Amino acid sequence: MLHIKPIVSSLMRSKSGPLLLLLQIILSVAIVANASFIIHERLTMMQRESGFTEDQILSFNVYNFDPEIDNVKQNIIDQQILRDIPNVIDAASTNMMPLSDSGWMDRFVDGPDEDTAKSMPGFAFYLSNDHWLNVMGAKIVDGRNFRPEEINTRIDETGMLAIISQPLAKEFWGDESPVGKTVYQGEQTIKIIGVVEKLQGAWVDHRNFEYSVLANIDFGGNNSNKTYVVRSLPEHIADLQEQIVKVLHAENPNRVIDSFSSLTEMKNLTYSNHRLMATILSIMVMLLLLITALGLTGMVMFNIQRRTKQIGTRRALGAKKTDIVSYFMVENYIICIAGGLIGGMLSLQLGKQLMSLYSLPILPIVYPVIAVVGLLVVTTLAVIVPAVRASSISPAMATRNV
Amino acid sequence: MLSMKNISKVFKTDLVETHALREFNLNVAEGEFVAVTGPSGSGKTTFLNIAGLLEGFTEGEYCLDGVNVSNLSDNKSAQIRNEKIGFIFQGFNLIPDLNLAENVEVPLRYRGVKSSERKRRVEAALEQVGLAARMKHLPTQLSGGQQQRVAIARALAGEPRFLLADEPTGNLDSLMARQVMELLENINQSGTTIIMVTHDAELARRAQRNIQIVDGQVCDFSMYQKADHSVVAELKKVADQKQAAELNQIVSGA
Amino acid sequence: MFLYYCDLAWRSIKKTPMLSLLMVLAISIGIGITITTLNVYKTMSYNPAGDRNDQVNSIQLWSQGLDTWDEFNTNMTFTDVSNLRNNNELAIKAASYRTGLAMQSDDETKAPVLRSVRVTDTDFFTIFDVPFLFGNRWNKSVDLQPAYQVVIGEQINNTFFDGKNSVGKTIYLNRKPYQVVGVIKDWNPKPKYYDPTNGAFNDAEHIFIPFSLSEQEEFDVWGNTSGWRFEPMLSYQDRLRSEKTWIQFWTLLETTEEKNQLQSWLTRYVEQQRSFGRFTDTAKTPAESAQISPVDKLLEDNNAVPSDNKILVGLSVLFLIVCLVNILGLLLTKFLKRAPEVGVRRAIGASRGQIFAQYMVEVGMIGFIGGIVGLLWAWGTLTLLHAEFNVDPSVTGLDSSMWFVTPLIAISTAALAGVYPAWVVCRTKPSVYLKAQ
Repeated sequence: MLHIKPIVSSLMRSKSGPLLLLLQIILSVAIVANASFIIHERLTMMQRESGFTEDQILSFNVYNFDPEIDNVKQNIIDQQILRDIPNVIDAASTNMMPLSDSGWMDRFVDGPDEDTAKSMPGFAFYLSNDHWLNVMGAKIVDGRNFRPEEINTRIDETGMLAIISQPLAKEFWGDESPVGKTVYQGEQTIKIIGVVEKLQGAWVDHRNFEYSVLANIDFGGNNSNKTYVVRSLPEHIADLQEQIVKVLHAENPNRVIDSFSSLTEMKNLTYSNHRLMATILSIMVMLLLLITALGLTGMVMFNIQRRTKQIGTRRALGAKKTDIVSYFMVENYIICIAGGLIGGMLSLQLGKQLMSLYSLPILPIVYPVIAVVGLLVVTTLAVIVPAVRASSISPAMATRNV
Repeated sequence: MLSMKNISKVFKTDLVETHALREFNLNVAEGEFVAVTGPSGSGKTTFLNIAGLLEGFTEGEYCLDGVNVSNLSDNKSAQIRNEKIGFIFQGFNLIPDLNLAENVEVPLRYRGVKSSERKRRVEAALEQVGLAARMKHLPTQLSGGQQQRVAIARALAGEPRFLLADEPTGNLDSLMARQVMELLENINQSGTTIIMVTHDAELARRAQRNIQIVDGQVCDFSMYQKADHSVVAELKKVADQKQAAELNQIVSGA
Repeated sequence: MFLYYCDLAWRSIKKTPMLSLLMVLAISIGIGITITTLNVYKTMSYNPAGDRNDQVNSIQLWSQGLDTWDEFNTNMTFTDVSNLRNNNELAIKAASYRTGLAMQSDDETKAPVLRSVRVTDTDFFTIFDVPFLFGNRWNKSVDLQPAYQVVIGEQINNTFFDGKNSVGKTIYLNRKPYQVVGVIKDWNPKPKYYDPTNGAFNDAEHIFIPFSLSEQEEFDVWGNTSGWRFEPMLSYQDRLRSEKTWIQFWTLLETTEEKNQLQSWLTRYVEQQRSFGRFTDTAKTPAESAQISPVDKLLEDNNAVPSDNKILVGLSVLFLIVCLVNILGLLLTKFLKRAPEVGVRRAIGASRGQIFAQYMVEVGMIGFIGGIVGLLWAWGTLTLLHAEFNVDPSVTGLDSSMWFVTPLIAISTAALAGVYPAWVVCRTKPSVYLKAQ
């Protein structure tokens, strides 16, 4: 019932209008496909589980500038003070914060001889004590946590133990359990005693983001500048800041206590570029569809105005209202599908360019398809109103001299 | 004033060649009022378009005001149209968005006339057609006859050497038609050459000279007009028969 | 004539309000998005060195071993920096890294604050043309004979000294007294070109202390420390002796001759270091193992402009093209509708050029309005970005050049879209539309 052939030949005869529409749709598909792919990619990235109880973790910085302070002892005292604060579930020192964009990266090798040993992939290197996993809410799936008596204070002490993230274990040892294995770094030998299900590092864009190691070194004593993490229920986090400053200053006023930040805030901050990108691109896609729709409506309305007499004649010759509507719908679907095909190919090409220039993953074919489907919906919405209006043109228009 | 020698105009499409004018010859002296009549399709409009430099022609020579205007550039012909020719159309062709004064000043704008001078001429032209009081009105607020008078004012504002009128009364009732005709005669008397295309025999008779275009060629009856009407009638009959014969040929051929 | 065209254009725009609105909307959204991304790009790719780009140079050395890093590291080892600081052929030079210290003044009522501090040589202020408010940089002799002197920023001077001239006064950094020798005016170059290695859009430090104090004071390093082999850093001495890189080194080279001279000195230096068993990657010649980078190269190497931003600029330009095509269609529609009027004007004596000009003025006017609205969009978006996404205000501030660039882009986009419709309409045969309408 759809008379495609005459519509096509009529499209071919009118010069620039449909051509421009076609061009617009081609470009729209190319943009929408690539943009929605990037959006999806970023959203997926942001939805990755960190493995931490994000909303319960507060971190801050302490800088002891009193030269009299024995950092190692003070570190132990301060942690005990923190744990004694009401509403604090647990507290620990840490050398770095996950999702913070700054921290330590290191690697181990699997044998004592540096020249023959195989190197593990690079990982985020956390140093803390037996409280850390509890503070961060990370879950041990294999092996065990450190015991209080196993905690060292220096990197070069013997008896270094490590708990590693499952993705790192899988990557290096496959399905074999790494618990009990020994790895090496220079003179140091490290025994792996546990595996946590998930433990993200500091750099969200790094390919080794999921690879982490926690070692039994309470690093808070090594340095006058240190980071602590405390865990508390979300409702207490806000009040905690003031309490912490108060109790630590009561212990020794010669220090600066600042840079309070919850892990949720850190996560937001570290992903803000990706959120920004996803937001801008979403706005772009929506505006693009809006503009395309408005352009389409304008064009169809103009066409109807120009063809009023022709439409009247058709009606007089017995065309039903639905025939008129379907005429315009089919006309625009033809343009949309043709544009979609070319635009889809263009978008794959554009995706290839982006991949080679900015190491973006290759654009899956499903995105151009989604873009075309989206445009078909927009076309329908944009065309249906003026087309219905056109169908109500009176057959008497045929005889009127316009 | 106007001299056309052996002008031919051929329209070509993929399928047919149409000779709109063939070896067309016409001389119009300064100050003349010429009425051009002829059956539809005879080439009247083509003649007018060529005379008004709206269209080029295929062969021949056309001198206007002593200047050869054959094969002029588009810009040059626009300039001549602007400075020497005034147009009056059957459909008035006023610009609907502009008020009367603004419509009348359009040719002066393109000529680059200064604002004060423009104002003076617009007022004078509208005065002449009796519509000075309504210069701020829009064309749609006027009757057909008034609109045509505005169109005449627009043609006059440029102080052209000659006026081309295409069925100027075609869309008007007879009273208004007479008014417009009188206006044209007044303009003619003040020295402007007028060529008017019309199919109204009565109006044509009021012109000094009548020519008829038949089948793209001139049949000039003016020399007989005052002498012998029967000869004119006879000639007209011959012309009509010729046309009828051709029509027959077309019909039977098709 | 131009004013006449403007008048006609404005009437025409008013006559079809919906169509005009649609066009202004399309162009303004396209412009808004393009200007937003372009503005961010422009500020990110801004080179604060300006004319002095070729003179302000940093040095990188290929001190790593075989098959380790693929690229030059922006930072250098303490050993190499010390040797370069002792190179007397080089007149103006400054080592630089970032640390953090707790700061107090004699005023007990002001709570101590932890501040990030730039550890550097006195030539730093010359190389980066830092403007002084009071006093001056420390004496060159301090770079050789360490002294507890400090240059502070205007903000700190305001907080701790109520904005008065504090030269000669004392501030305490980690409880050690430092004598103020100079106060600099607000100075916060974006990007932070003197140290793009950690956060090219971080704020500049407000406290500057002599590099010569590093060994005795053992300042923490608040920046990247990178190593290509395993070297435990148990003490500060380990750090100083290691092959780890963590210090930037800058110099001012006025002429190519000076540059060549430095390059040949560096080549000799690499050869010498190889004889000591360092610079073990012999895949590179000694001349290739030293790099003198002007500011623009350093910013480029440190990816001051993230690739996301480049993608956005690209996509928004495509977006603008879609808007352009969209407007082209609408203009064609609109202009063709007015062909009869053009016929009349042509008959009355308007030349093609005059008709073309008339329509281009109309197009330009739509572009101009679209540009203004687009600028508002861009301004709104940038403000929103700043508020919602913690984007640095220096990046989201509308660059002053945009006030000029935006209407220019808008008008030329519109003109590009309008040129074909205007051309089509000015080619209208005057005779076609004159017969009874």
